[in-house]
Amino acid sequence: MGKIVSIHSFRGGTGKSNAAANLAAQAALRGKRVGVVDTDIQSPGIHVLFGLDETNMGATLNDFLHGKCEIEDVAFSVGEKAADGEGRKKLAGKDLWLIPSSIRGREISRVIREGYDVNRLNEGLQNLIEKKKLDYLFIDTHPGLNEETLLSIAISDILLVILRPDNQDFQGTAVTVDIARSLDVTNLLLMVNKAVPNKYDYNDLKQQIEESYKAPLTGILPLNFDIADNASKDLFSLRFPDHPWSRELVKVAEAILAVE
Amino acid sequence: MNGEIIRLKKAFMFQGLPDEALKVLAQKITRQRLKKDEVLFRRGDSAQALFIIEEGEVKIVREDENGGELALNRCGAGETIGEMSLFDREPRSASVVAAAPTHVLELKREAFFELLNQHPDVAVSLIRSLSSRLRFASAYIQTATEWSKKIAEGDYSFMEQNQPEALTDEDKAEQMLFEFFKMAKGVKEREESLERQVQKLTLVIDEAKRRQEVEELTSAEFYSQLKTQAQKIRAQRRDRS
Ligand SMILES: Nc1ncnc2c1ncn2[C@@H]1O[C@H](COP(=O)(O)OP(=O)(O)OP(=O)(O)O)[C@@H](O)[C@H]1O
Ligand SMILES: [Mg+2]
Repeated sequence: MGKIVSIHSFRGGTGKSNAAANLAAQAALRGKRVGVVDTDIQSPGIHVLFGLDETNMGATLNDFLHGKCEIEDVAFSVGEKAADGEGRKKLAGKDLWLIPSSIRGREISRVIREGYDVNRLNEGLQNLIEKKKLDYLFIDTHPGLNEETLLSIAISDILLVILRPDNQDFQGTAVTVDIARSLDVTNLLLMVNKAVPNKYDYNDLKQQIEESYKAPLTGILPLNFDIADNASKDLFSLRFPDHPWSRELVKVAEAILAVE
Repeated sequence: MNGEIIRLKKAFMFQGLPDEALKVLAQKITRQRLKKDEVLFRRGDSAQALFIIEEGEVKIVREDENGGELALNRCGAGETIGEMSLFDREPRSASVVAAAPTHVLELKREAFFELLNQHPDVAVSLIRSLSSRLRFASAYIQTATEWSKKIAEGDYSFMEQNQPEALTDEDKAEQMLFEFFKMAKGVKEREESLERQVQKLTLVIDEAKRRQEVEELTSAEFYSQLKTQAQKIRAQRRDRS
């Protein structure tokens, strides 16, 4: 059975979308059949990393949620279509599908106004896993702990919580971890992103984090201008595989793939 | 025999000697072949001969305390090495290692002094070469002293001005200072790493606030529904697979 991996953080801007896209790409690169869903319907972002914009985005998750199409119709084959971009090129022929959220203002405001049926979303994700025979389905979530996000946490087999090394994120992560445990999430993994290189004793921080949250810290990814400069336009870890950020990301990917 | 004389003429020390003298010399000289990194002699060895490099290149080296090798100079074809010990009777002041496959000619002490007696010209050419080495050493010491003073003051600006590749070939002394340069770089890096002493970040969590937020979420009406819903979904997934 395919595994659902939710990528979450308590606060916004931690690097969820970049992590979700790169982790999915790393899994696909290793021959896994992989899906990525943007459930951040209010502020979608992951499509950019796969080279999608208004001009080339077809059916979206919104269309599916509003009953206009089936989930398979939304699945955009990255291996077949988005093999442009120096990093993305490496995914040519791989089994990776993206389920983007609409970036049209009208559709976003409709979702914010009316909400959506989380059951239908869940049903769609299950169907997608079966139809595409997915090994992994990565979910890029909306930050915070609203009802929709809580459901995607609750149904995930693996939850990856991303935090930055600061006290606000430590506090928010504590709440997230408690909620995830209360929702019986069995595999809880942590990842630190935007760590200023050489500023802190990160070995010591890792110990504190693991002790405090009782979950493994699978990678400490550096804050780096190159990533900001990439402006989410390409899959950084594929484009610059030897970069310290990419090396740490691969560790996180390996930890996810190692979960039984 | 003729070929041998032509080869001896390439040695700076023998330039200007009549062919007759070279013929005599050729019989007293023995040839050694060194592989790259092979040691010709070591610092502290007692000295019985001098050497002339016929072909290839050698490094004059001193070992530092850490077992590292500090290259003091390099000598190539035509140059004479090891004559100092023959004059002052002290042991070898440095080691000599082949920097490339090298041929050296060995001239024993007695033969050397005999040559000097018969051909004072040779002594003049030797003095010339020793003088140039002395100049080299003075230049080396002067720059090294200036740099040491700057390092002591924490001023590393000379490292930017003197990129080792920018050193001219003519100024051999500066080239050899490359070793010194490497050392200075090490000192600088150590100092910088001490400066950016990593801080300890203490993970602080307000436990009361944490409990309160979790409590608010889990007591919300939708939460228990969500929990049952999630359990149902999980059971379904297990059944379907
Ligand atoms: N390690 C890093 N170093 C520098 N910039 C980074 C790093 N990781 C992510 N960024 C930048 O931070 C911004 C936010 O990243 P991203 O969109 O992946 O985060 P997010 O958690 O999905 O945000 P949101 O909560 O808004 O959805 C982007 O501009 C991205 O390029
Ligand atoms: Mg995002």
